[in-house]
Amino acid sequence: MTQPDQQPIISISHIAKVYEMGDEQVHALRDVSLTIGANEYIALMGPSGSGKSTLMNMLGCLDTPSSGTYLFNGENVSDLNDDELAEIRNREIGFVFQTFNLLPRATALQNVELPLVYAGIAKAKRIEMAEQSLTHVGLDDRMDHKPNELSGGQRQRVAIARALVTNPSIILADEPTGNLDSKTGQDIMNLFNELWRAGNTVILVTHEEDIARHAHRIVRMRDGLIESDEANTKPLT
Amino acid sequence: MIKWSEIGESFRIATNALRTNLLRSVLTTSGVVVGVVLVVVMGWTINGLDAIWDETISIIGKDMIYVDKWNWSGGGNWRKTETRKDITLEQAQALVARMETSELAIPLARQWGGSVSYGNKSIRCGIYGTTFEYAFTPAGVTEFGRYFNEVEQRQADNVVVIGYGIAKAIFPDGDALDKQIKIHGIPFRIIGVVEKRGFLFMDFIDNQAFIPLFAFRSAFGFFDRSFSIGIKAGSVKLLDIVRDEAIGHMRQIRNVHPTEEEDFSINETEAFDDQVRNIRIGIWTVGIGLTILAFIVGSIGIMNIMYVSVTERTREIGIRKAIGAKRFSILSQFLIESALLCLTGAFIAFPISQGLIAGIYWTARAGFDLEFLSVVSPLIQIDLLLIAIAVSVAVGLLAGLLPAFKASRLAPVEALRYE
Ligand SMILES: Nc1ncnc2c1ncn2[C@@H]1O[C@H](COP(=O)(O)OP(=O)(O)O)[C@@H](O)[C@H]1O
Ligand SMILES: [Mg+2]
Repeated sequence: MTQPDQQPIISISHIAKVYEMGDEQVHALRDVSLTIGANEYIALMGPSGSGKSTLMNMLGCLDTPSSGTYLFNGENVSDLNDDELAEIRNREIGFVFQTFNLLPRATALQNVELPLVYAGIAKAKRIEMAEQSLTHVGLDDRMDHKPNELSGGQRQRVAIARALVTNPSIILADEPTGNLDSKTGQDIMNLFNELWRAGNTVILVTHEEDIARHAHRIVRMRDGLIESDEANTKPLT
Repeated sequence: MIKWSEIGESFRIATNALRTNLLRSVLTTSGVVVGVVLVVVMGWTINGLDAIWDETISIIGKDMIYVDKWNWSGGGNWRKTETRKDITLEQAQALVARMETSELAIPLARQWGGSVSYGNKSIRCGIYGTTFEYAFTPAGVTEFGRYFNEVEQRQADNVVVIGYGIAKAIFPDGDALDKQIKIHGIPFRIIGVVEKRGFLFMDFIDNQAFIPLFAFRSAFGFFDRSFSIGIKAGSVKLLDIVRDEAIGHMRQIRNVHPTEEEDFSINETEAFDDQVRNIRIGIWTVGIGLTILAFIVGSIGIMNIMYVSVTERTREIGIRKAIGAKRFSILSQFLIESALLCLTGAFIAFPISQGLIAGIYWTARAGFDLEFLSVVSPLIQIDLLLIAIAVSVAVGLLAGLLPAFKASRLAPVEALRYE
């Protein structure tokens, strides 16, 4: 477990998230504090409904907390408006989802290009960067395929290439192997290991011990609270 | 700050979206199609009317002034006009003699509600007594035969030049020349037929017959008659000068005191502009009303389908937002889609409008024998196409505004959870 002296990328303290469901209030996160530094490899674990995805959305600036503070690279996220959050997501965060979340009518290359489109990068440069990213995840021969022409593992690789293409500060993966068979899941995990070794910061949400064992730090959640936060002394990396 | 990469992406998304739902898109645009057809057909009609009007005016003569007791446009106080003294032949001849700046000045005697007859056929028409110089006005161009000459005029021969309308009614086979027709019971020999001049409501100018001034006196007499003077300026530029000169002479001739207003009227083709303006306004009011209605119905349809499109693509919006699309990116994506949708409508409407216009044109031309349509083009003018394109894009942007706004404000997490 690395705890670098430099400023942490993520620092949240006493974060809570409450969803209103009619008259009922759902406390998805109750009081969560967490600090994450550069080039960490963290697994967020916990049973279904414990608030993992909610926390990950918060960390990825997709959602804002009901209370508590969130500093991203020292900047208070609560002060930012929708467009500023979009810009942080675009530049600093790479998302990988359980359901891939690719645009079905766009090719692999176009999907990977998309974050660069919103970053305002010119077409030629965009294609070059997207090709590089796809090559990196081993899909140099599948660039013009649409998602429905790719296997699950290949789709997740496209998603990872898309997450990587802007060279973000952190990669957030919510159950990235949840829709894959175990062999393919293993391949994807190897890819994450590789990304970590290359210097990326990786946050992995999972409820499977086998997957979590790859990480160097394991944060366990229950009922919207952090139950434990421990180093994994024997990572499978 | 506009990122062109985003706009390009928006176009790509929009064309893709339209292509995948081609049938639905085409059906949705029907309101816009109707609106554009109306705009184009209305515009074409007004343009055509203008062209016909222009032609009519130039045939009557844009540089012609008619000094008359009566005011053609019916303007001014009719009662006051009625109390004016008649313009006598002497006054008319005095003005003709004094005019210097004009190309031509001709005295005219007019018999309203006259008629000419041939055998058992008879037609009501205006009869004019004038000089041979009338041949040099725009009204004097003959299709067959010739105008009467100076000798015939001086001898007050019983010769007549008839208008196109009269010739057509009485001699449909086109054999009017040298026939003897009766005017007020007196036989006149037809020596010429004036070419067709009247369009639309100006048809009456084809129902006129011209005879030498003193032949007119034999037929109708000069007693209790107000003469008028036709003055040809020579060019539209000279109109002001010629008009001023004519007014000056006429005031003197009629002894109008400098502080009094004129006791005669100056008539020009402008007098008819009011009538054309009214027709135009009529077309516009009806046309604009229908068009607005069609576009309202159309934009409700477009708005509806755009809401459907936003809902269908909620997840896509979530994905785009997750990877960094800002509100404006999403907004522009849907605005461009709805503008393109309407533009598609416009392009569907163009061939329909063209077909309709060609149909109207040829029906009017062949079916109703409206040959004056030859000055109108049966093709849609380019500027009409551009206006229609602009209007349909504007309607698209307007109709897409609310759905696009809704899309741009979706919360990313909610959008991603949408199934
Ligand atoms: N948008 C939402 N509206 C209402 N309740 C929600 C929403 N998102 C999550 N929840 C609730 O918050 C709790 C935590 O959910 P989540 O973070 O998705 O759990 P996990 O990812 O650990 O399975 C659950 O009880 C879930 O039903
Ligand atoms: Mg979850």
